[in-house]
Amino acid sequence: MNKVYDAVVIGAGAIGTSAAYHLCEKGLKTALLEKGDIAGGSSSHCDAVALICDKLPGIDTKMGQASIDYYMELAKRFDYDFEFDPKGCLYVCETEPEFEAASKYCELQNNDGYALRMVNNEELCQMEPHIAKDLTGALYTPPSGSIAVSPYKVCFAFVEEAKKMGLEVYTYCDIKKINLNGKTNGVESVETNYGTIRTKRIVNCAGAWAPFIGELTGLKIPIEPRKGTNLVSEQTERLCHNKILEYGYMMSKFDSIHFKRKVSPLAEELNVAFNLEYTKANNLLVGGNRLFRSYDIRSEIETMKAIAERALRFYPELADIKCIRTYSGVRPFVIDHLPIVSDVDSIPGYYIAAGHEGDGICFSPITGRFMSQIIAGEETDFDISKLDFARFAS
Amino acid sequence: MIQRDVLVVGAGPAGLAASIEAGKAGAAVLLVDLNMQPGGQLFKQIHKFFGSSAHRSGTRGYDIGEQLLREALEAAVEIWMQSTVIGIFPGNKIGIERGMDGKEKELVTVLARKIVIATGASENAIRFKGWTIPGVMGAGAAQTMINVNHVRPGKRVVMLGSGNVGLIVSYQLLQAGCDVAALVEAAPGIGGYAVHAAKIRRAGVPIYTGYTIVEAKKGKDGCVCGCIIAKADDKYDPIPGTEEAIECDAITLAAGLKPVMDLPKLAGCTLTYSSAFGGYIPIHNDRMETSQKGIFTAGDAAGVEEANTALEEGKLAGISAAEELNLISKKKADILRKEIWERLVSLRSGPFGERRLKEKESVLKEYAKRAGIPAAEDQEVEKCH
Repeated sequence: MNKVYDAVVIGAGAIGTSAAYHLCEKGLKTALLEKGDIAGGSSSHCDAVALICDKLPGIDTKMGQASIDYYMELAKRFDYDFEFDPKGCLYVCETEPEFEAASKYCELQNNDGYALRMVNNEELCQMEPHIAKDLTGALYTPPSGSIAVSPYKVCFAFVEEAKKMGLEVYTYCDIKKINLNGKTNGVESVETNYGTIRTKRIVNCAGAWAPFIGELTGLKIPIEPRKGTNLVSEQTERLCHNKILEYGYMMSKFDSIHFKRKVSPLAEELNVAFNLEYTKANNLLVGGNRLFRSYDIRSEIETMKAIAERALRFYPELADIKCIRTYSGVRPFVIDHLPIVSDVDSIPGYYIAAGHEGDGICFSPITGRFMSQIIAGEETDFDISKLDFARFAS
Repeated sequence: MIQRDVLVVGAGPAGLAASIEAGKAGAAVLLVDLNMQPGGQLFKQIHKFFGSSAHRSGTRGYDIGEQLLREALEAAVEIWMQSTVIGIFPGNKIGIERGMDGKEKELVTVLARKIVIATGASENAIRFKGWTIPGVMGAGAAQTMINVNHVRPGKRVVMLGSGNVGLIVSYQLLQAGCDVAALVEAAPGIGGYAVHAAKIRRAGVPIYTGYTIVEAKKGKDGCVCGCIIAKADDKYDPIPGTEEAIECDAITLAAGLKPVMDLPKLAGCTLTYSSAFGGYIPIHNDRMETSQKGIFTAGDAAGVEEANTALEEGKLAGISAAEELNLISKKKADILRKEIWERLVSLRSGPFGERRLKEKESVLKEYAKRAGIPAAEDQEVEKCH
């Protein structure tokens, strides 16, 4: 085989499939290469929501909102149903200090024009009748800034819609070598088990595995796998109507924000923060935590126990609901908690869209659009220079 | 977290035998099983064991079960019933949910030096219209109902499948006072031993070879009230226009068993597909050790066979686990294993057994190849047969 493409996207998760879709939309003949199956990595080992209220104020939130708005548009435009479900989100506060910190965060976001608001204990209990009665209150985000999608189906939706525009997909594809031009150092071709694929542009969307693709051309991409675990309940009545998270979740996500929580040593050690959502099939997803365990995604019994213990504190009725399985996945962690969506100065034709940690599903549509704009040489919707790979140059 | 030398999952013949051998050698053995009583399928086997030179032929299953329980008690095996292993976690940690619904339940973590997975097999289902209606069940489930719980699954039963399970359970249904309305078999001939088929035939059960079930009919009470059968073509698909209706209130499916692979998968054991053994099984060596060091398997989980082979494989696993714990010398373990393999080879003879013997050999070879043991030991594997 000696195929020629305008662009080759590596990785068929939420980011790569979106990038491939948007490149096809720009009229580029595009191939999507995936070492396993579509959505086989982090995008099938995660939860299912896209929120603005778990983002830091600024570009993080701005991208989140733009992506959520875009999801709404795609849900109408796509023939493929990816189970778009606008559901609000409650960041519940266990204590006064948490409530105060959340209020400050809310104010910052309000100043930027986002419709978040604080709810007190009484209103919280009305909104969520099954929640523990002793919580101080919550930060509420309406569905305009908080939605759910099926992460699997988002990937398949992008692939199926892109195929209509000529996308070609190579699954179980081993990338052996990336050849660069001897003079310009620009991208020339990709050697795979399917043969050599010629292209002038490759987009590394391999998420937590992006460093391995980077190594092929001597690029050091500072992404680390960070493990997250979810418990799945049996089908049950809707115990919650919004996505529920504890405000302490911010702590497990952004080490820079510190709150002293009243948690067990186990929950502390395993970096556990409660979150809960219902799925379309009415199973509950109960999370979560973040740990560095390299690429090992085997479930750990201590983590399972700590997550369950933390969940019972916020939803005592979960004690009567069975956990049917657990799963873990790696999130592509970047030290400054911002993804890399960028070209690479040293290699013309090399692009990176990776490192979204827990925001891959949320940022999927907007990241794909940005990437296609960068490759087409257009101005991006808004300034994303903070996501430039060059920030790691020093 | 509690610690044990050997944790055995599944208290059927394989798990009991493994526990007894390891316990006799002095290991602290914990045997867990989700059922109420140990013994696995033995206590529903009210028939005499058959087979050519099998050392327990002529003995009834439940007698073997009683004997094994006595031996386990003597070997100081700790048994937790109504306990479900929910996972094997990194570092040989096993999560066990102890206790049943509605009662006190606790999640116990056990750190085990060696693990034996003897989780047996589950029944295969056959999908046809109405296959989920109450009254459609596995033949093994029906056998448990009549022989263990003493409850008839129905008054008039249609059995699908004429392997030994289908034949024996049909006969036991008759003994329990059920009317067996039909024995339906998609293949052109009876699958099991002729001696069992003859018993059914003598009792007047209509046998429909070359037929399959097209549909289970739902009655006013929401349960099975009959079924439609039809002649089957060479792909076992129904031939239109040949349908016949049979009245019945239970349909039992004897469509074979497949090894239960949840725990080997969770433990990261390398699996291989074997149609002779019913599905995916962990590759293992002649000591019953899987590709994961310290994790053993035995019985139907290592390939669906019968109680006698399960017992022998369980012994292999128990002896080998004890040997790795330095409780039995290599010399003694080798002698014991050699004797067991001789019995296994004799059990795996005859028209049904030979295929399994060949298949077992190829599983051992695959282990040698894929689990990467030294060539010298590889040759020893060959010598064992």
